Amino acid sequence: MTRTIAARQDVRMTASARTAGLRLDPRAKLYLLLLANLLLFFHVDTRGEAIMVTLFLLPLFVAGRWRTGLRLTVLYFALLGLGLWSDAVTLTGTGSGSGGSLIGMMNGGTTGAGDATTTLATAGHVAGLLSVGIRMMMPCLITGAYAFTTTSISEFVCAMRRMRVPEAIVIPCMVVIRFFPTIAHDYRQIRNAMALRGIAAGRFALVRHPVQSLEFIIVPLLMNATFVSRDLSVAALTKGLGIAGEHTCMTVIRMRWFDWAFMAVCTVPMALSIGGVL
Amino acid sequence: MTQQPAAQPTGTPAAKSSRLAIPDLISIGIFTALYFVCVCVATLISALVAGAGTIFLPAVAALICGPVFMLSVARVGKFGGITVMGVVIGLFLFVSGHFALSFVASIVFPLAGDLIARIGNYKNRITILIGYVVFCYGLTGPILPLWFMKDAYVASLQARGKDSAYIDNLFSQISVGSFFVAMAAILVCGLIGGWFGQRILKKHFVKAGIA
Repeated sequence: MTRTIAARQDVRMTASARTAGLRLDPRAKLYLLLLANLLLFFHVDTRGEAIMVTLFLLPLFVAGRWRTGLRLTVLYFALLGLGLWSDAVTLTGTGSGSGGSLIGMMNGGTTGAGDATTTLATAGHVAGLLSVGIRMMMPCLITGAYAFTTTSISEFVCAMRRMRVPEAIVIPCMVVIRFFPTIAHDYRQIRNAMALRGIAAGRFALVRHPVQSLEFIIVPLLMNATFVSRDLSVAALTKGLGIAGEHTCMTVIRMRWFDWAFMAVCTVPMALSIGGVL
Repeated sequence: MTQQPAAQPTGTPAAKSSRLAIPDLISIGIFTALYFVCVCVATLISALVAGAGTIFLPAVAALICGPVFMLSVARVGKFGGITVMGVVIGLFLFVSGHFALSFVASIVFPLAGDLIARIGNYKNRITILIGYVVFCYGLTGPILPLWFMKDAYVASLQARGKDSAYIDNLFSQISVGSFFVAMAAILVCGLIGGWFGQRILKKHFVKAGIA
């Protein structure tokens, strides 16, 4: 009986996964995250970075996350433009480069405008620092956004178990993900109760007495958390979480051909640009 | 830490074993969730107050996370609890797209804090406080790229032929000074936050019989 239900669930799950657009396996997502981190570590040049970012943005669109994908794309290319502009401005000092020399001649042509050149150069440096800094974080942010928005809890847990992560890590992770909505709900209740008593009712009242508001919010939250943890423990033990042996998952995760293909496609330009070929 | 808690068949609540049972893991999960929310609030505060001051993210977090940490130590009180908390936070930071180094920091420092708190058998207030301060350094992972990306920018400046004196002048204030200020801020804020947490614990939770 339970077996047939599980099987039916299984069929439904795979069917829904197929209709929701192509999504990579959680382990492939993890690999992409690692690649993005390596990119941060090895200081790849701008061209390699742009190629990798384009590759990382691709699965977001394939999974149907148009809005997130477009937002990140616009942000990245705005930063890229800012970086190129800063290159052009700060290059005037040495007078090399085609785009930079034009602005350099315009500013340096009049000798009295020396101050303007330096302020422009300073602005260029600040913009460049911002652009380089945030752009370096972008591959990590993109892959992180992809991993977060397209992975369900059961997929995540199943992938962790498959990778032999110890149960001491898996269970807290599960609890963390499930407990977030409860915290939001509790917080709203606490603020309502505080408003009822006229504590911290105004807009900036929380900020005016930071220590008091911290105490008044965190103590009920913690009180409730201890009760919830007691309830959850009982519920989990009843469901057999404490049973020794291997646990099974409802969700099926499988590495398919496009997982391997995409991993390979991402690795090649990465290796080439680290090796300095590209 | 890596032991299989499932090896304990149906670990009864409040089992007096020194290993982490399922109820302990669930408590740790819940406190980790609260801790994570505190870290998010700290990110918001440090971004709002200090402008570009994400450097002070761990310090602000240390200031407000004291009660959560103290109650979790009082509730779990076994070796591995603090470490698992740090590892799970590191995992979430990593998955949400932070630098992989943050994962290393969030294993090493909580483990050290756990070992220190263990000296006092999770009862001594002084060792717990020191353990908390060490634990707080686990959050330095997300801000370490600030120094990394400075390196990248310096490298790109050098590649374009700027002389090193100019670069040194540009970054003299940002690099060493800000690093030590940020680290010292964590120490001070950790002490204050931990003391505040212990006071809250004594004022509310010990009386209610929860801690």
